[in-house]
Amino acid sequence: MLELTGLTAGYHGGTVLHGLDLSVPAGTVHAVVGHNGAGKTTLVHTVAGLMRPSAGTVRLDGRDVTGQPAHRTARAGIGLVPQGRRVFAGLTVEEHLRLSYRPPRRGDTTRPSVWTPARVLELLPRLGERRGNRGADLSGGEQQMLALARALLGSPRVLLLDEPTEGLAPVLVRQIDALVTTLAAEGIAVLLVSPSPAQAVACARTLTVLTSGRMTLRLSGEDARADATALHAALELTATGA
Amino acid sequence: MELLDAHLVPAVDGVAFGLLLFVVAAGLSLAFGTAGVLNLSHGMLYAIGAYTGAELSDGTWGGLALGLAAGTAAACVAGAGLSAATAPLARRGHLAQALLTFGLALIGGDLLIQFFGADELPVRVPEVLDSSVTLLGHRYPAYRLCFIVMAVLLAAFGTWVLTRTRMGAAVRAAADDPQMLAATGHSPRAVHTGVLAAAGALAGAAGVLGAPIIGPGPGTSENVLMLSLVVVVLGGLRSLWATFAAAVAVGEVQTLGVSVAPELAPYLLFAAMAAVLVLRSRFAEPAGAGHGSEPSGPGPVARLRGRLAGRLPGPKRPSVRLDRLPGRKGSPEWVNRLPGRAAWWQAAPLLVLLGVLVALPALLDAYSISLAGSALALGLLAVSVTVLTGYAGLPTLGQTAPFAVGAYATANLADAGWTMGPVQIVLSALAAAVFAAVVGPAVIRARGTTVLMITLAIGELTGAVVNQLKSVTGGADGLVGFPATQALWGGEGMLEESELYNYALAVAVVAVALTLLVLRSPAGKLLTGTRGAEARMRASGHPVGRYLLVAHICAGALAGVGGSLMVTVQQYLSPADVGFEIAAFALLAVVIGGTTSVIGALLGAGLIVATRDWVAGSWPGHGPLLLGVLFVATVYVLPRGLAGLRGGGSGGGGQSGPPSGTTGAPGTPGAPGTSGEPKTSDAPDVQDQPPPAPTPAGKASP
Repeated sequence: MLELTGLTAGYHGGTVLHGLDLSVPAGTVHAVVGHNGAGKTTLVHTVAGLMRPSAGTVRLDGRDVTGQPAHRTARAGIGLVPQGRRVFAGLTVEEHLRLSYRPPRRGDTTRPSVWTPARVLELLPRLGERRGNRGADLSGGEQQMLALARALLGSPRVLLLDEPTEGLAPVLVRQIDALVTTLAAEGIAVLLVSPSPAQAVACARTLTVLTSGRMTLRLSGEDARADATALHAALELTATGA
Repeated sequence: MELLDAHLVPAVDGVAFGLLLFVVAAGLSLAFGTAGVLNLSHGMLYAIGAYTGAELSDGTWGGLALGLAAGTAAACVAGAGLSAATAPLARRGHLAQALLTFGLALIGGDLLIQFFGADELPVRVPEVLDSSVTLLGHRYPAYRLCFIVMAVLLAAFGTWVLTRTRMGAAVRAAADDPQMLAATGHSPRAVHTGVLAAAGALAGAAGVLGAPIIGPGPGTSENVLMLSLVVVVLGGLRSLWATFAAAVAVGEVQTLGVSVAPELAPYLLFAAMAAVLVLRSRFAEPAGAGHGSEPSGPGPVARLRGRLAGRLPGPKRPSVRLDRLPGRKGSPEWVNRLPGRAAWWQAAPLLVLLGVLVALPALLDAYSISLAGSALALGLLAVSVTVLTGYAGLPTLGQTAPFAVGAYATANLADAGWTMGPVQIVLSALAAAVFAAVVGPAVIRARGTTVLMITLAIGELTGAVVNQLKSVTGGADGLVGFPATQALWGGEGMLEESELYNYALAVAVVAVALTLLVLRSPAGKLLTGTRGAEARMRASGHPVGRYLLVAHICAGALAGVGGSLMVTVQQYLSPADVGFEIAAFALLAVVIGGTTSVIGALLGAGLIVATRDWVAGSWPGHGPLLLGVLFVATVYVLPRGLAGLRGGGSGGGGQSGPPSGTTGAPGTPGAPGTSGEPKTSDAPDVQDQPPPAPTPAGKASP
């Protein structure tokens, strides 16, 4: 369970995210939709500990992890799949897996599920075929799989997916959507950030529309699937800059 | 066969020497390539090991083991301390870190001499090894053979750790993208500390074991640093094997080369270096080019524009939004730079400074006036470094090379009877410009810290040539006794300090005025644009490489003028006047001034000369210590140099009178100082995009 209350963050020069409240129960997908510049990546980076919020809290299964450095939030159970994948160019797939594999502490039975390299390769068999290849030599889809594997190997409670289908072919997009659903079914709380309402509608239980760093609409996945007009209207509103 | 026979001993010596360099250079390369710290105090870490080893070795195995343990541990702790010292500067880019390490090296060098004395310490090796073995009919010191074995083992172990273990993978990942390493639960800070500690341990171990080869003494630090820098530049950062080959090659040049062709050896190193720098573009690849994980500069903006344009039919609204986009923030600055009242405000400090400088001869004694003259010469050098560092984005430690060319040109011209001041100045500037044009292509291909290393190598090797080419430079003795310069046709040779000072002031004013004119012109804007957003400049059709080359040539000419002035004012010239320290001082002056402030650079040079020659005069022998403290203090206390004080208004504190008042033009927020950070520091003011991770090794990975 990931809970954000009044989360406010920005860069020197301006606040980008204004008092966002949001919660992602374990086993569900919460999608945040918004145009570029809406503050989506800022949100992800703040939750992951790559940025310090100026106000608000981040709670993970009730534990306050606000403002902790990224390696601590990662150990606490937040897995990050960043925008642009950011795999390590010089490391092989094998090395990625070995470096990222961090089994939960002995006695820690609260993780939704424990991931080992073998299990990750079962889920993402393509990576097994490219074990010896360096990150820079992988295709976009493979890099996305690797970034996902990297996050999973920490056996996360929460998975942050920042535009996971950016620049991927439609067939891979569907594959990623299916994976997101599978992972949520494992009990992981998934925070999915995407500019595309279609993907959000396909996977999410709850949707939040972010406009200039503020929430402008929240609706349930069923409502959005039944009638996407409100969602599209909210996004169109964003585009015309009202 | 006979040839082989005669040169076998120096050849094996070369291997031993090369392996020693390899172990040291591996530490340097590790710190630079994976922790992003260009550690200019790496030679000091070696010296710590060497002194400790020499002190504890008593000719027994136990002594050697104790020395090895203590020396390695001491250097390891020093390395970890270095990590703690540089960590707060991580966001400020490589330049600040490099300067800090240089300051620490000056301080450490002074302290080592305090502890161990200024003489070279004798080193004793265990008696079993203190004999010689027979090698193909030659007697050869057993210790060196043993050292070769130990160094190979050390190298193999290091390579194994780096390439085969999880720790090594973490180190390489940290070099690539520290944020993502953190996202996998590893602390990048811990990796950073570990890497610098390991680099220190390597240098310390090399120091203990290598003490019988490069012994501990006052010159050890610099000697070792320079040789290992050469190795790193030659070997690149991509593979340890390339570093290994480069180290052995340098070792052979230094031993076999000296025995085969004593006159040519220094040039051999220089030639190999130059060839590698010019030919191997991969080492000198612009930062970020071809690097997959780094968000490319214009990408998000272009994408955003595309999307906005696609969604919005109306042409007016997007333009409103686009003004808020990153990258447009500079516009008010440009507006403010337009001439008007602001221009007068900006000129005022310069005029005040000029007034003070003109009045100086009436205020000071002869010695101080001649120091002020040297400060002007050093000031011109600093201004040329400002042009390169602050405007062209090429932080340089090698401007002493064109400075030296100008200086020796003037001295030789005077010797040949060409004593006319303006002629000397123009010809020296020309000579320096030609030199800068020749080495320029090697410099302008690189960016960031790589430039520091390449220029450092150029400066250092120019120094080696100066030492060798005795017929032109007088070698280590320097040049003295050449005829005095005449200020103008028909005049007498200038001998009095105040005359010389006035001459220097006149030349400096003209040179600085010309520089300011160029920097304020559209040409200066092109340079600023290149530094800030090179990819966008390229995409707009600007031949960026040509601009940088022209800037490099102009800066070289300016440094040449500075060199010429220095010779005229001092009336003698020694290699120390164009050495590495001077290059570092010039860079420090620039950083004190705030990288893009010409006047700041001049004041910084003044402050340095004052510290070195006035203050240190009352505490003899501790000039380096004082300067080291000045370095460290500058880096920590003045993050944006004196120019940065402007914002604070009343700032200045204990700094010498004029700076606080003169560097800042109140009411001109667009003064050059605002963009006063070196290119490498990429201030994260681009919204909705994470601060780009420092990726020094990104350059290295093809």
